[in-house]
Amino acid sequence: MDVAFQLRDLVEAIIKGEAEAAVVIAHSLLQQDIPCESIIENGLTEALRFLDTKCTNEEFNLLEIMLAGRAMVSVLDEVIAPRLLFNPPLSSNKTIVIGTIKGDIHDLGKQIVRTLFRARGFRVIDIGKDVEPVDFVRVAIIEGASYIGVSSLLTLNIPFIREIKRILRNEGVNNIKVIAGGAAIQQARPEDLDVDYIAKDAFDALHYLNRDLKE
Amino acid sequence: MTSFDRVMSIFTGDIPDLRPVVPQIFGFTARLNGYRVNQYVTDGKVLADSQLRTRREMGYDILYAFADLLVEAEAVGCKLHYNEDAYPHLLAPVLQDLDSLEDLPLPNPEKDGRMPVLIEAARLLRGHVRNECIIAACVVGPITLASHLMGIERFLYKLIDEPAKVNKLLDYTEKVVEIYGSELLRAGAHCLIVFDPVSSPDVIPSSYFLKFESERLKRLYKHFSFLGSPISWISIAGPTQRIIPHYKESGINLATIDYEVSISEALSLSKGIVINGNLKPYDFVSDNPEDIKEKTEACLREAEGRGSFIIGTGCEIPLEARPDNIMAFVQASRGLQ
Repeated sequence: MDVAFQLRDLVEAIIKGEAEAAVVIAHSLLQQDIPCESIIENGLTEALRFLDTKCTNEEFNLLEIMLAGRAMVSVLDEVIAPRLLFNPPLSSNKTIVIGTIKGDIHDLGKQIVRTLFRARGFRVIDIGKDVEPVDFVRVAIIEGASYIGVSSLLTLNIPFIREIKRILRNEGVNNIKVIAGGAAIQQARPEDLDVDYIAKDAFDALHYLNRDLKE
Repeated sequence: MTSFDRVMSIFTGDIPDLRPVVPQIFGFTARLNGYRVNQYVTDGKVLADSQLRTRREMGYDILYAFADLLVEAEAVGCKLHYNEDAYPHLLAPVLQDLDSLEDLPLPNPEKDGRMPVLIEAARLLRGHVRNECIIAACVVGPITLASHLMGIERFLYKLIDEPAKVNKLLDYTEKVVEIYGSELLRAGAHCLIVFDPVSSPDVIPSSYFLKFESERLKRLYKHFSFLGSPISWISIAGPTQRIIPHYKESGINLATIDYEVSISEALSLSKGIVINGNLKPYDFVSDNPEDIKEKTEACLREAEGRGSFIIGTGCEIPLEARPDNIMAFVQASRGLQ
């Protein structure tokens, strides 16, 4: 089958969340000597673009994004990573530390962010849930991160989110930006949380990072 | 006119003496009255006392026998972590796979988990106010309960991968909700709100709400109506425009909407059911009373002349809200300076 058709089928399988089909197609493309970079750019990234458009038009939901994310991770883990000898296919050398803030154990949204950011070439360090503000800062400094992504579903934890910037300032660090996301804090403003940006969703966060990297 | 009659007038088409005001206000009432949230969610007397005192002080038209969304999950075996001054959270789901569903018991509301606490709260509230004010108890929707039992991520994947088995799980969770809800009504609650955050179109496609949840809700509301509940109330946040038109066929006659749906849009889509909403809950934390007054008045203007509307909040007023903002909301809703 024509490679262009197969790439289109790969995009479609990912969008529909058909992980097994996506892996089979990606394997087939590799066997035809299509480079990993092309599979990432014309398969995974293209699928992300489509999902992004749906997201912008508010036609998406968590389930669809999760399924597409699962399919994308399957292709990355089962097809791309072994071929690249576990060298992640980075297009950017930027690192983001992500976690769910202290007092909150919801991490589904964070996992989606992790998947999408990874697929877009960021180095993502996930420090888990119920994370102390100081640990975001500590890991970000150790890992040389450019960004901290903090997630919270609960307004109750907003004081902990505010702590992150304060600790960064106390440490004299002014080159790490803080992005917040999560259901309840959508109602807040960046100044309420003392963060650089409040992302509406994972794609909005990606757009912010891309804009920021261009500046 | 009593608060009860004032709220019911919106359903019957009678003219109320004052505009009814129905915010979602739960654990905040504990903090306002010097209790810790942990006391509120584990002691029916504290819950009832907090609710009664706060309503007396603020003057709105509803009382809640409600603690948090995990009461049903805990009663059938989920372990929770209790925080001193915040709501409990789920430590671990109880159901590792769908094949072990048969091991799960049906709850005994008189003794399992905190169901007795909420039943006591409903009984105490009813004893205090009789029929002067509506006492709304709360249950979670079958889909939301299933997500608590399995963990939301695993549940959502199973919804796609093993829909037949998920339907069996939903049969079980529907039964749990029916048992618990029935007992709350018998204890004195006038009606039940079904909180169903996982059915939000933010989480699952609207077609999945229709396929997996709406018939179950219809059966539940029919049963609760049979037990005497005059209100079949749903509360789902998020962009619910695509599911609101289906609420009526699920037997719903009152729907709380949040700020993602405009009141005029909800009223147009709702086919005559009563809409409740939709002030942003976090505004009660970050705004001042003057802002709240303006936003309340804007809400009322949007619904003016359209009848089937009860002003309220789109979701729970946060624990850390400013009391003067709630007072401003109630006064502006009533048209008082």
